[in-house]
Amino acid sequence: MVDGRVAGSFRDPAGFVFTREGVLYRQVNPRFAEHYDHLMSSGLYQALTDAGLLVRHEEVDVAAHADDAHRVLRPAMVEFISFPYEWCPGQLRDAALATLQAQQLALNHGMSLRDASAFNVQFVASRPVLIDTLSFEILPQGQPWVAYRQFCQHFLAPLALASSVDARLLRLLGVHLDGVPLDLAAALLPGRSRLQPGLAVHLHAHARSQRRHADDAGRAGAGKGDNKVGTKDAPRFSEQAFRGLIDSLTTAVRKQAWEPGESAWRDYYAAKESYSDEAMASKEELVAKFVGELQPRSVWDLGANTGRFSWLAARAGASVVALEMDPAAVEVSWRQVVAGEAPAVLPLVMDLANPSPGLGWGSAERPSLSQRGPADLALALALIHHLAIANNVPLTHVAAWLATLCQWLVLEWVPKDDPMVRRLLASRQDVFDDYCEQGLQDALSGWFDVVQREPVHGSQRTLYLLRRR
Amino acid sequence: MRKSGSRLAWTIWFTLCLSLLVVPAANAYIDPGSGSLIFQVVVGAAMAMSLGVKVFWRRITGFFSRRSR
Repeated sequence: MVDGRVAGSFRDPAGFVFTREGVLYRQVNPRFAEHYDHLMSSGLYQALTDAGLLVRHEEVDVAAHADDAHRVLRPAMVEFISFPYEWCPGQLRDAALATLQAQQLALNHGMSLRDASAFNVQFVASRPVLIDTLSFEILPQGQPWVAYRQFCQHFLAPLALASSVDARLLRLLGVHLDGVPLDLAAALLPGRSRLQPGLAVHLHAHARSQRRHADDAGRAGAGKGDNKVGTKDAPRFSEQAFRGLIDSLTTAVRKQAWEPGESAWRDYYAAKESYSDEAMASKEELVAKFVGELQPRSVWDLGANTGRFSWLAARAGASVVALEMDPAAVEVSWRQVVAGEAPAVLPLVMDLANPSPGLGWGSAERPSLSQRGPADLALALALIHHLAIANNVPLTHVAAWLATLCQWLVLEWVPKDDPMVRRLLASRQDVFDDYCEQGLQDALSGWFDVVQREPVHGSQRTLYLLRRR
Repeated sequence: MRKSGSRLAWTIWFTLCLSLLVVPAANAYIDPGSGSLIFQVVVGAAMAMSLGVKVFWRRITGFFSRRSR
């Protein structure tokens, strides 16, 4: 982490986030003092943090990063920052409900969320937590919700697309960083979505209203400002209407429950096509031994499926991110974690042949996957053939990329006569002359030292424990 | 006649829309979208009523479930 203002923290004049000597701080600017002080004195901060909905912070006596500061806060650190375009539908839904719950609590304390960005939610021990302490303002009396459009774009529209069309459409959040435009969502959703009252109102009719009034702001700018919402001459948006809106959004979000369908990956272990019981036991024993010896603080499980080996690392005390391409596998894994049936790993949807790049302003607002590392340890189990054969990535490229992600690496070598590799090659020409164990060792030698090499009993596979040079 | 009637309706609608526009509070840093603000005011009464009915219904069902215990 480079000290200075955090790249993605520049839009809001109320404050910003910076790091100093590796510690993260949030500066509250004087212009937002009244609102921040109300958050702390009204009991809302206590209520939100007690409910696990807002990140805890300490007010600290350190120098401001720029200009004058009303306060400098040291928020509790989040182990791994993930982004909405990396979440499964269940994670986005939980984040949406947490945002609405926080808004309800805020209304109870005379405050309101002035933004509703999905990027303001992070997962801490499998719970969605709002991380922007400065999102809460004193409730502007008589005015509608300033963040209503943002909430619908960041949460409701992508959730509706995932549940009514295809879960892969959540990736749209990586293209549209301020949420899926409502006209786009309305165009992609099937006609039957109009039969759901929540979607009919908050997406379809809302999108029509946006289209109809797209030019109003400019026209209004020329007029007088004495009859606008919130002033004595204008219709007021009552608090009951505000609460009704939040309640209606909550109902609409709850209805967007995506059920993962049959997925080849999800049945991967159950089918036992690639592993015998002996091979699976041997692999688990070896991974557990390596993790036990290294005691890593952070582990990235690359190609995690439903997270069997991620759990193993989490049980050894590591903070684990489980990266998997299939949203169904991630959804299953997330549900197990939330239900307490699995340790609190963070499963995320990630195509490792096209991992999250830097996005947003200057391509720096949302850091890439590798910029969020390196992890102490990466697990690349049953992964190499998917990258090298299914995606035609040369082993030298795979080794160089893995070296950007971790200090230590456990890599499973899957030879050509393994059933899974044979399946990948069944429908295509074998153009992979370099895909052999010697080729792997040559590729790794530029980046890693081999610390241990162990056969997986009951299979032809081999596990490597590697240390980054 | 019909033409002037539709023009009158349009003028009333446009005036109403202008009257509903919001001056964002000094600390609002995102664009709320004029269409989104107007839409909330238009559906607000129905949302308020719907919540009222819901709360009332919960009270009734709560009363009977307490009695039946």
